[in-house]
Amino acid sequence: MIEAFLLAMRQLRTKKVRTLLILLGISVGVAAVVGVTSLGEGIRVNAVSEIEKSHDLTLIEVSPGVSNGNIILITESKVRAVREYGSVVAPYVKDAYVTPNKTYFEANGISAEYMDAKDLQLEAGMWFEEGTYQIVLGSDIGEKFAKIEGAEIGNAIDARIRLYGEEGRAIDKDITFMIAGRLKPTGTDTDDQAFIDMNIARELTGKDVYDGIMVKLDKSGQTPAARTAIEKLGLTCYSAQDEIDSVNKIMNAVTLVLAFFSGISLIVGGLMIINTMIVSVYERTHEIGITKAIGASELDIIRMFLSECIIIGVLGGILGDLLGVLFSILIDSVGRPMLVAQLGIADFEHLTVINIQILAAGFLISLVISVIAGIYPAWRGAKLDPVKALRQL
Amino acid sequence: MCMVKTQGLSRHYTFGSGNQVVALSDVNLTVASGEFISIMGPSGSGKSTLLNIVGCLDKPTAGDVYIDNVKIDYGNAGSLVQLHRQTIGFVFQGFNLISTMNALENVWYPMYFNKVPKPERIKRAEELLESVGLSNRALHLPSELSGGEQQRVAIARALANHPRLILADEPTGNIDSGTGKKIVDLMKKLNKEQGITFVVTTHDSVMANNADRVITITDGEIVD
Repeated sequence: MIEAFLLAMRQLRTKKVRTLLILLGISVGVAAVVGVTSLGEGIRVNAVSEIEKSHDLTLIEVSPGVSNGNIILITESKVRAVREYGSVVAPYVKDAYVTPNKTYFEANGISAEYMDAKDLQLEAGMWFEEGTYQIVLGSDIGEKFAKIEGAEIGNAIDARIRLYGEEGRAIDKDITFMIAGRLKPTGTDTDDQAFIDMNIARELTGKDVYDGIMVKLDKSGQTPAARTAIEKLGLTCYSAQDEIDSVNKIMNAVTLVLAFFSGISLIVGGLMIINTMIVSVYERTHEIGITKAIGASELDIIRMFLSECIIIGVLGGILGDLLGVLFSILIDSVGRPMLVAQLGIADFEHLTVINIQILAAGFLISLVISVIAGIYPAWRGAKLDPVKALRQL
Repeated sequence: MCMVKTQGLSRHYTFGSGNQVVALSDVNLTVASGEFISIMGPSGSGKSTLLNIVGCLDKPTAGDVYIDNVKIDYGNAGSLVQLHRQTIGFVFQGFNLISTMNALENVWYPMYFNKVPKPERIKRAEELLESVGLSNRALHLPSELSGGEQQRVAIARALANHPRLILADEPTGNIDSGTGKKIVDLMKKLNKEQGITFVVTTHDSVMANNADRVITITDGEIVD
């Protein structure tokens, strides 16, 4: 078998220019697929790392679930059950308030565990004292209050909450909060929220259930297991992994479509190989006649041509991968500054990502196409009538 | 012992226009083992067709061929390949060496298809080239050899797998008469020393004079 390749190699060497041209043909196709896939992969990796930066992957946000049309509420017993799965388990309530100036805001009634789980940090002022109507504002909402209400730390702010009585009758309740502190900006939805003592919040609304639980784990690797366990309780879970999953799903689809279209050039490469091999069979008709007379079977002839195709496929794959890496570097070095300038986003490390799977795929595509393209010409060569083949010079 | 036997062998060619040409008609020929026979006849008489059918490169329209008393099954490609690999050697008028391979490689190529291990096949190829007096030309390409030298390489190649039958189609046809005599002598020597059966088509009287028996074919029929 090795010898078949050596003989094939020799055939290819006797027609260098032609071989080089087919190699280029197939490798340009491979390079296009590798380059485009690396772009798709790069965008995916960047998106995922953005999510990881702004989200805590060790955090699961639990909300009430729906099962057979019934709402599963977060009761004390559910909270007790959930406590088994997280290192910090912080139930909270969440209500919407409005100021006399029609500024709506969400106030979360929280405990010290919640601060811990979400790692809330003060920028100015202090935390609310338990049992008081003090409020801590997220950085955005704090800014809004200062602008619209003229309320800074230490000022009071009026707010109204609408509750619904037994017959669905609306009851408005007016409260006055005292602004105790403001949080550091985080870039997450925390910036738009306000925080009050959970007991006060529950007293205001009369709720005996919770609106959500923050579950904090020690390691992000524990998230899937904890999540499955909590979902078994009938509750709904959300973690940043959901967003990563959906980004992965979308980007895989996009990359597949892009790779498919750039792969059309591979069809051209394949046709080039078919054409060249047919010409090669034609040129070597006489030689095929001789080899048949001296004992070559049809399989030997097929092997002879397919060995050439395998060599073309291997070399084309290697060359294609190399060109693909160059193409990917080009996209990165030209495309990244352009994207940063056009979109006005912060600079990021790389726009494209090359990994071993992409290179292996490029190599395999080249090999498979070369071999498939060689089957018909090889078969034609094998089926030549030796008498006619020998007569041709 | 009978090396080749044909029974009622016919070969018709039908062309697209419907015209039928009879290349061979009811040929009954027996060649004994170790015999050197020469087939003569004008061009187009069917000599080459006969050789091609006996050599399993072509199929008869009717009739049977026995090689070594075994009937050839022309439908069984595998058995034909085995005959090419082990029993039959070919020598052609146009030498038919592979132009990209040197003399040594041309000689070991049939052994490559016969799955002979590489060291063994190179050794035998060297010996064969020496026996035809071309050791010093082993690494030359066919284009660097004279016609007589090329035909000697071709004979060495035909001997590669120890055939018991060599079919030669006008082996001296493309060579001057002086060199042709040497080729005839070489073939005679192989016939005498190794007992290889030779069936040789020729126009060459030197070849015919050296044969054990001469058969003449005209219009696809044997005329004795």
